[in-house]
Amino acid sequence: MSVATLPIPRSPLVSPVHLAALALSPLAIGAVVAARTAAPSPIFAVPAIVLGVIAATGPALYIASAAVGDAPPLATMARAFVAALSAFGIALAGLVLPTAFVALTTTEPTTAVATCTAAIAVAALCALRRLARELSPSTLASAAVYACWSVATLGIAGRLWWDVASEVLS
Amino acid sequence: MTASRWIDQLLRDRRGMAARVRAASTGDVVAITRAMLATIVVCMAIVGAALGSYRGGVQIAYAALKLPIVIVGTAALSAPALTAIGAALGRPARLAHDLALVVVALAFGSLLLVACTPLLLLAHSLDVGYHATILLLVAMFAIAGVAALRVIGGAVSADAAAPGRVSAVLALCVVFAIVGGQLSWALRPYLVRPASREDAIAFVHPLEGSLVDAISDTIHSTRRGW
Repeated sequence: MSVATLPIPRSPLVSPVHLAALALSPLAIGAVVAARTAAPSPIFAVPAIVLGVIAATGPALYIASAAVGDAPPLATMARAFVAALSAFGIALAGLVLPTAFVALTTTEPTTAVATCTAAIAVAALCALRRLARELSPSTLASAAVYACWSVATLGIAGRLWWDVASEVLS
Repeated sequence: MTASRWIDQLLRDRRGMAARVRAASTGDVVAITRAMLATIVVCMAIVGAALGSYRGGVQIAYAALKLPIVIVGTAALSAPALTAIGAALGRPARLAHDLALVVVALAFGSLLLVACTPLLLLAHSLDVGYHATILLLVAMFAIAGVAALRVIGGAVSADAAAPGRVSAVLALCVVFAIVGGQLSWALRPYLVRPASREDAIAFVHPLEGSLVDAISDTIHSTRRGW
């Protein structure tokens, strides 16, 4: 079979709209925090943390999954990550409006930051669930690898966000 | 189909109404949404007027104007969350249909509240105290809210093939409770003590924290025995 005839499967979620949501939603939620705290750093902190942490920890998931014998092809893994990231953007896009409303109508910056943090956390959980569905780990070992990777990724991202939030609230 | 028939179907056959929304064309969805929005506005204006009558005077008009804003605003801010969380987890994204579903559910809740309005008027005519009336209100809105969310939950769960439907409904419930609580808090007061002075009545109070902040302060005060 020649390379030219190989089908190129595409995740149905990855469209320009989803990619736009991924690009704009984290900026928007960061802007809400920035508006309430008068500190500009959160605007770029959310996309930087999300993309940076995924870039840093994504290869680890591939390597560990391959080591336990349940890694999908690299292209499938890459598509799964894109689908998960677009799920993050879409979920966050739906939460930006209510979060902005609550954050901008409260007088307490802490409440505003907590509301935005909750929205980001919900979007992150949606992305992890989407990634699990795309990869569908079939063995106990690969499921354990995925669970460990999820906890580590959430922990790193959460810690980085905590540092940003603490700084703007202080 | 006329709006009165849709309302009749909503009261008698909520599953059928939800199925009608899910299967509706774009034009029908717009027509249903418009009819249900009108239902919400009329019903909540009646409930608001009944609330305002506790104090009387201009407060009747204020509350009749504000309550429809609270419900319609909550629907507009919350419906995208249902679509977005569902879409993120693989459910087909249909914002117009989801918005119609949320509006239909809220119209049902509004109709239930109108049905409870005589209880408010009875409490007023029996000179029931301010705090007891507040508790009656909380009970009425809780019943209507749960009934509305059941309509949405039943409608979304009926689409058994769609992944992420349970998470989408749960997210909607949380967002709905938080946004509805905050919007109603931001636009308070609705029920004003009869003894309050005329110049103390305002369309809205200035922003004083959030509903969460107020609940937190109340818990602290209760612990200190204040």
